[in-house]
Amino acid sequence: MTFEWGYKRAFLRCALLFVVGTTLQLAVGDIDSSLLHYPWGLILAVNYLYLLVVAYAMRNRWRWLRQLGDDKACLSSLAAFGAIVIVFGLTRQDPAREGLVGALGFSRMTSSWPFNLLLFYFMTTLGIRTVSDIHHLRDRRMAAVLTHLGVFVLLVAGTFGSGDTVRCMVTTRVGTPVSIGRDDAGHEVRLPFALTLDDFSIEEYPPKLYLLDTRRESSSREFLSVEADGAEAVIGDWRIRAEHSLDMAGRLPEESDWRAMKHVGAAPAVYASAENTVTGEKFSGWVSCGSHIFEPSYLMLDDGMAVAMPRREAKRYLSRVNIMEEGGIRRDVEIEVNHPARVGSWRVYQVGYDTSKGRWSDTSVLECICDPWYGAAHLALWMLLAAGVVMFVTAGGRRIGVRKTDDGMPDAAGGAAACGTDMDGVKEKHVRGGAAVRRRGGRKEVKL
Amino acid sequence: MSWDQLLWYAAVAAACWVAGAVAAYRAKRPWGAVAVSLCGSAVFLAFIIGMWVSLERPPMRTMGETRLWYSFFLSVAGVAVYARWRYKWILSFSSVMSIVFVCINLFKPEIHNKSLMPALQSVWFVPHVIVYMFSYALLGAVTLFALYLWLRSSRREPSDDEMGLCDNLVRIGWAFLSLGMVMGALWAKQAWGDYWTWDPKETWAAATWLGYLLYLHLRAVRPKDSNAAFAIIVFSFLLLQMCWYGINYLPAAQGVSIHTY
Repeated sequence: MTFEWGYKRAFLRCALLFVVGTTLQLAVGDIDSSLLHYPWGLILAVNYLYLLVVAYAMRNRWRWLRQLGDDKACLSSLAAFGAIVIVFGLTRQDPAREGLVGALGFSRMTSSWPFNLLLFYFMTTLGIRTVSDIHHLRDRRMAAVLTHLGVFVLLVAGTFGSGDTVRCMVTTRVGTPVSIGRDDAGHEVRLPFALTLDDFSIEEYPPKLYLLDTRRESSSREFLSVEADGAEAVIGDWRIRAEHSLDMAGRLPEESDWRAMKHVGAAPAVYASAENTVTGEKFSGWVSCGSHIFEPSYLMLDDGMAVAMPRREAKRYLSRVNIMEEGGIRRDVEIEVNHPARVGSWRVYQVGYDTSKGRWSDTSVLECICDPWYGAAHLALWMLLAAGVVMFVTAGGRRIGVRKTDDGMPDAAGGAAACGTDMDGVKEKHVRGGAAVRRRGGRKEVKL
Repeated sequence: MSWDQLLWYAAVAAACWVAGAVAAYRAKRPWGAVAVSLCGSAVFLAFIIGMWVSLERPPMRTMGETRLWYSFFLSVAGVAVYARWRYKWILSFSSVMSIVFVCINLFKPEIHNKSLMPALQSVWFVPHVIVYMFSYALLGAVTLFALYLWLRSSRREPSDDEMGLCDNLVRIGWAFLSLGMVMGALWAKQAWGDYWTWDPKETWAAATWLGYLLYLHLRAVRPKDSNAAFAIIVFSFLLLQMCWYGINYLPAAQGVSIHTY
């Protein structure tokens, strides 16, 4: 193997990083990402960015700095990071896993040394490339610049801001103010605001009737959706018909029939009939999923078959919450899935409710998340969205699109542009028909 | 509209697609083949829209429903490539691929219902799935093309034009892959408070994205290395398969992915 700087050596560097990472993993164990919290995370991020700019500025003075961000470093770091992401995908993530996979940290990949070292190297090559993009902004393709910058900002925010995110679960009950949540480890988290649940409501899908095989303890894939009285469906050998349905029903202890009842704990009930399409046997009776007050009802058929109704699926659930911020300012908000409420740098998400009570739940589970890097990450994602659009719009145009590459870095996102450089700064510009223009020190010669 | 009617719509669409593929070889002008193929796609889209209306939600929730979009976009991608670059064979390939995915849906029918869990009720749901399926279709088309160039009997080196087509398809496919990922991240932040959680689906999406990114960079720095370029296209497409439905069978992802459907 030659030790000239080339692809072999670039990939060898990645392999060495992996070996170093593995050794560190075996020696000191997982990385504790919570160590990188404000202000140290921010201070480190600023210094890291400064060092990247210095590395780029000094690239012609020291060769190793140049080799930190050239095309070989970019390509190899990208391939190495891709390889460890594949290992990540193939390994079941289980913090408690032991054995070789656990010892190497692969089962806790995001906190393992090999993964984070390769990610850091990838981020560094990308960072130097991004500085180069900004330096040569007018010569670079917009899609490439936006992509590099967007991914880099995301990685920096994700790496140096990993310990800054605070999240906790808050279980709220109607009328009771809460200002303390609990994190994953069960520790109390004091919130800078208080939440009072005013009301919790659920909209549900129509009830569904399934055919149960009580002997095999299996359920049919097909079902009858009871959207209106008279709905029917053939499931297996049975024609099932919803004769009459009640949205809110209950039954007295000594009765078998369900009756309309507007009361806490009321459950949907359907008077169903079932006819065997082979034998002609007929059965009819009430079917209900029950509730935390009423027992469920089944329509028993022959041969251990039964018609059953599982709990209705939630279409949407919504919490009406009163938020009291510091200073005594109060406001009412509605929180549902995909529509969190914002309180300063905090966001409050709808997570769950008391599923045993279903629509009668008087409890709403909310998650409060404080993410100081929200703005940076959001900006980066919108940059990536813009990059995707620009890339699509500009695709299919010029096939040759070499941009200025005096720092030896590829302009991949720019198109099928073919551009490569050697480490002395010689750059080749491939053109249609196989000709290449080679430049050195401002002189230009054409190879055919 | 019900799933039972897929057979009839698919039959008409497939007939149009096959007729378009034949016309691409027979007719002197390309527009007849384009028009007939697009008719097939329109018929297929009519079925998808009909399902959308009858289900009262976008038909994008189950694997079979995503396959509908894949068949549709693959046929559209084939027509677009043919109209733009006049490769006659692409319509045959895209038609066969579309029909294969239609057949999977016909032979493996699913139970469809109107339920859509609250997390899926987002403005990002439809664009996220559509751009992903469009991207998958384009990257499927370029994989077929790369295999053709790589394994063709003449063993001829690919021309600049041929590699240019590969580059363009990968670039557009990758751009849509990026759009899909970013929309997914924005949606996840809105729904769960995290942009990215390294869920198995997300991990394989990242691997796929990195694979095609590697291709784009390789083409930029080693434009003559077509073998490596083709190998990366094929390998990245395998990663894409893992991301799309492979994780449903991957032991490492069982019971831990919230994206299993």
